[in-house]
Amino acid sequence: MNSKSRKKALCYFFEKVVRPLGFKFTPDAELMDFLLEQEMVLEGKHGVPFCPCQPLRHDRARDMQIVCPCIPFHRKHFAAIRRCWCGLFVHTDVLDPNTLPQLSPKEAGLE
Amino acid sequence: MSEMFVRAISADEIAPGGMKTVEVDGNEIVICNCGGKFHAVRRRCGHMNAPLEMGTLDGKYLTCPMHCAQFDVESGQAISGPVPPDFGGESPSPIFGKYLQNIDVLMKHVRTESIRTYATKLENGWVSIAVTSL
Repeated sequence: MNSKSRKKALCYFFEKVVRPLGFKFTPDAELMDFLLEQEMVLEGKHGVPFCPCQPLRHDRARDMQIVCPCIPFHRKHFAAIRRCWCGLFVHTDVLDPNTLPQLSPKEAGLE
Repeated sequence: MSEMFVRAISADEIAPGGMKTVEVDGNEIVICNCGGKFHAVRRRCGHMNAPLEMGTLDGKYLTCPMHCAQFDVESGQAISGPVPPDFGGESPSPIFGKYLQNIDVLMKHVRTESIRTYATKLENGWVSIAVTSL
């Protein structure tokens, strides 16, 4: 199996989900490649591409909420920080993801 | 050996995103309509020979109905192996667990191979497939 082709396929599938939600892939190509690589490893192990920056809790209901792209499950928080937790996706209007502040839900005024 | 195109199916028989099996010269072939562009691949999955036309086609990516291995129908390349079983956080029953252990030992050696592709041609509303003849 070719990891380049798999990453391309993941991009194809993810794009269809994230675009209508107002998100796009991060413009940081190196980060994007790294995160997709990690997702491929998780997919090989668990069968689904979990978010590479979140721990698995072995509680199916919670774990399913961190299957990439997990935007639909955490929309309020992601809308406040204009990116997803790992940074694979950013709001469509974001040009430089490094300028985005990383706020917890509490700091973002969501709790 | 030479390659010749054989008229296989009328293009309007497969809606975009659809697939259909045909038999050409003894070869079982799945013709995929990827948004108006036709691709032809071997019918059997490169993992465990499941019939691929029963799976799903999303763009140029075909997912096998049996264990969800995925293939790129343009190149025939296997892009993902079978999905491991998921018990939703519950452990399987002891008997089934034992069975799975044995199956795992056997399946460890099973690889997901890429599938063969066939050149296609769309002419006068017909999809033709290139088959090799002696």
